[in-house]
Amino acid sequence: MPLLSRCRFKGQLLILLATVLLSAVLPASSSFAQDSGSSPAAEKPAAKAAERDWDFRWDNRPSLRYGDLLRIDVRARLVTDMRRPDAAFVDNDTSRFDIARRRIGVEGEIGDVADFQIERDFADRRRWRDVYVNYRGIDRLELQAGQFKLPFGLDENTSSTNLDFVYRSRAARLSPGRDPGLMAHGRVGVLRYEAGAFTQDGDNGRASGLPRPSSGWTTAGRLLVQPLRSTTSVFEDFQAGVAYTSSDVQSGIADLRGPSALRDPFFRPEFAVQGMRRRVGLEMRWRPGPFSVQSELVRMASERLGQSVEDLDLPSLTASAWYVHGTWVVTGEKKTAGADEPKQPLFDGGFGSLEFAARVEGIRFSSAGLGPPSTGPRAETILPHRDGAITLGVNWSPNRWIRVQGNLIRDTISIPTGGAPLSGALVDGPSSSFWSRVVRFRFAL
Amino acid sequence: MRFKRLVAFTLVMCVALLLPAPAAHAQTADDLFAPATLNDLQVFMNTRDVQQLRDTYLENTYYQADIEWRGVRVRSVAIRSRGFGTRNPVKPGFGIDFDRFAAGQRFLGLQSLVLDNLWQDGSLVREAVTMALFERLGQPAPREAFTRLFINGDYQGVYSLVEAVDPVFLSRAFGDPGGYAFEYHWLNEFHAEYLGRSLGPYKELFEPASHESASDTTLYLPLHDLFREINAAPSATWRESVERLLDVREFLTHVAIEAFVSENDGILGNWAMNNFYLYRPSGSTQHRFIPWDRDNAFLAADTSILLRAGDNILMRRLLEYPDLREFYLQALERCAREGGWLEQAIVARANLIRAAAYADNRKSFPNDRFEADVAFLIQFARSRPGFVVAEVARLRGER
Repeated sequence: MPLLSRCRFKGQLLILLATVLLSAVLPASSSFAQDSGSSPAAEKPAAKAAERDWDFRWDNRPSLRYGDLLRIDVRARLVTDMRRPDAAFVDNDTSRFDIARRRIGVEGEIGDVADFQIERDFADRRRWRDVYVNYRGIDRLELQAGQFKLPFGLDENTSSTNLDFVYRSRAARLSPGRDPGLMAHGRVGVLRYEAGAFTQDGDNGRASGLPRPSSGWTTAGRLLVQPLRSTTSVFEDFQAGVAYTSSDVQSGIADLRGPSALRDPFFRPEFAVQGMRRRVGLEMRWRPGPFSVQSELVRMASERLGQSVEDLDLPSLTASAWYVHGTWVVTGEKKTAGADEPKQPLFDGGFGSLEFAARVEGIRFSSAGLGPPSTGPRAETILPHRDGAITLGVNWSPNRWIRVQGNLIRDTISIPTGGAPLSGALVDGPSSSFWSRVVRFRFAL
Repeated sequence: MRFKRLVAFTLVMCVALLLPAPAAHAQTADDLFAPATLNDLQVFMNTRDVQQLRDTYLENTYYQADIEWRGVRVRSVAIRSRGFGTRNPVKPGFGIDFDRFAAGQRFLGLQSLVLDNLWQDGSLVREAVTMALFERLGQPAPREAFTRLFINGDYQGVYSLVEAVDPVFLSRAFGDPGGYAFEYHWLNEFHAEYLGRSLGPYKELFEPASHESASDTTLYLPLHDLFREINAAPSATWRESVERLLDVREFLTHVAIEAFVSENDGILGNWAMNNFYLYRPSGSTQHRFIPWDRDNAFLAADTSILLRAGDNILMRRLLEYPDLREFYLQALERCAREGGWLEQAIVARANLIRAAAYADNRKSFPNDRFEADVAFLIQFARSRPGFVVAEVARLRGER
C-alpha cells in the first residue's frame, strides 16, 4: 500500500492488477453450448439442423463457430503506457500516462478459402485498423482486399502484440503503414512474395494539422527468401528480404516526421515535395531457439519537382533508418512459438516467460544540394537531422493474455543550427542526449 | 614620328595599367536607404507560394524566397504578408527576415526589412517625408527609401523599404544592440492607463522586437512600472518618478513632430495611442518612443497643436508643468522652421517616384489622386508653419 499511495496513477494500476488476477483465473480452453431456446427459428426443422452446428466456445478468446464453415474469434487489446523522458518536447508533457490502444475486433475463417479481420481502435483518431478479407482459393496465390498494411517493413508488419519493444523502430516510421488496396501474396518454395496496389501512400505519413500532399495509387512489393526452410538446421527460420514502394505525390508539404524514441517528433519536415516517393528496404530475421536477431535498413526519397523559389527542381528529400535488435527468452520458450505464451504461466506452477531485448538504431533526414543550407520549406540543401538510440528492454508475460514491458532508452538527437527552431523540436538545444523510461501493460485476447 | 607615337602609346598604356583600378564600391544599408534613390528590388518566389500568399494574405505564414538588389542576391530569406489596416491581396505589404531560414544571415547588415505597400496614402510619400523629419530633428526613426518591387520579374508597384526596428536598428540609432524594443499593438483605445499588477495586459500590447526569449518579468515589469507611475496620484515626486522611467523631453519632441505634421494615427491619434515602438536601453529603465507607420500624417494644415492632448494621461500631466509645456512649444517652433525643407522633401520624393507610381497598377488610388495629394502636401508644407507659430504664440499669450 505505501507503494500505491505514492503512485500517481493509482486508479489505473488497480485496474491493471485486477486484470492480471482475472486473467489468471480465466479458463485456458472451454466450450459452451449455445442456448437453443434463444432463437425463434429454433422450431423449424432446417434451422434445428443448423443450430446443432453453431458452437460458442472459449479458445483462449471468445470464438463462434459454424461447423467447419465459419469461425469468428473476438479479439480485444488494452494497452497502457507510463512514460518519462528526461527531455522536454514542445508538443508534449515530459511525463504522462497513456492509453495507447483500446482495440476490439473480430477475425476468422470462411471454410478453407478465406480469412478476414475487422479491428477498430477507440484510442486512436484513425479508428479503423485492419479491415480486409483474404481469399486462399488458388494454389500458391492468395488475394487480399480491404484496408491493411502495405507490404513493406518487417517491424511495421509485426503485430503490435508480438513486438519485442514498447515502440516500433525508427525504420518502421519510414514504412508506409495502412491504406485501402488489393494485394496478391503467396509462397513458392523458399520464396514468399507480396505485391499490391493501394489508394495512397499509407497512414504513417499522414498529416496531423498540416495539409498533406495527396499521393495517387501506390505500388508496393516485398520478396522474402527462407533458404533453409525445408531443413531442420538451426538456420531453418532464417529469412531475408527486400521491399519497395512507389507513389506519385502531388504538391504539398511532406509530413514524414522524425520521431524520437518516445515518438515525439524531433524533425517535422515542412518541406515542399512533388513527384515520386520511393522506398527501398532490406530486412533480415533469425530466431534460433530462445534467441532472435532482426535487422532492417530503409531508405526513402521524395522528389521535389518544381519546388525551388524559381519553380525549378530541388534535390530529393531523403530519409534513411536502420536498426539491429536481439532478444533472449531466459525462461527458455522458443521465439518462433512466441515468448508471450509461457510454458509455465503465473499461478500455474511457474513465473511466466521472461525475455531480455536490446536494440540499436538510427534515423537521418537530409537533402544534398549545392547551395547554402537553410531550414526553409524550399531549401536546396537540408543539413542532416539525426537521431540515434539504444534501447534496453525486459518483457514479462505472466500468461498468454498479459504482457509487461519495460524499456530504457538513450536518445542522441542532432539538429543542425539554422534559423528558428522547428515546431516540435527539442526545447533544450540543437543537439542532446537523454534517457527515457517507459513501462507498458498489455492485455490481449 | 611613328616611333614616337608608339613610345607615347606604350607609356600611356603602362601608366594606365599601373594606376590602381577604381575600388569596387561595396554596397551598404546607407546606399539602400539613400533618399534620392529609387531602388529596384527583385523577389523570387515559387509561383504556388505567390498565389498562396495572396489567397491567405491575412495569415503570417513565412515563405521562402530569394531577393536581389543591385546584383546582390540573398538566398533563403523568409517573406510574409504584413500590415494591419493595409493588408490586402492585390498589393500586399511584406515583412522579410533574413535569418529565419538561414542562421545569422544578413543583407547589407540588416536582419529584417519591411516592404510597405503605401496602401492608404494617395501621395505615397507621407511616411517617408515624416520619418525624414524625425531624423532631421534628432529623433531616431526607421530609415526609408522607395523601391520598385518585382516578383518573379512582374512589376508589383512602388513600395517603401522600411528599416525594421530590431537589434540592428538599435545598434545604428542608439549604439545599443542589447536594448529592449517593443512594438505596440493596437487592441483597444489606450491612453497610457495603468493596466494593473498582472503583466499579461502589457504582454498583449507590447510585442518584443528584441530579447524575444527573455522572461516576462525582465521584459514587462519595467513597462508595468512606467504606466503605474504615470497614473500615480499627484505628488511632488510624480515628475521625478516618471522621468526615471521615461525620457520626457524626447517624448514631448516626438509628440510635437506628430502634431506639426498633423498625424492622425500616432501617440495622440484619433483612435488613442498607436504606431510606435518603445525602446528601453540595456542597463537603464528610461524608455523612449520610436515612430512607426506614418501614412496618416498631413491630415490638415489647421489642426490644433494640442489636438487630443487632454485625452492622453501622460501628455496631459506633463503639460501641467510650465517648463515642459514651454519645451513642447519650442519643439513645435523648431518643426515650423523646417517648412522649406518639408516642401523640398515632398517635391523631391514625388518627382523621384512619379513615373513608377503611374506604372503602379496595383496601388489603391488613381494617378490623378497622386497628383492631387502631392499638391495638397506641398500646400500643407507652405501653410502649416505659419499656423503652428501663430498657435504657439496664442498659447503663450494665454498664460
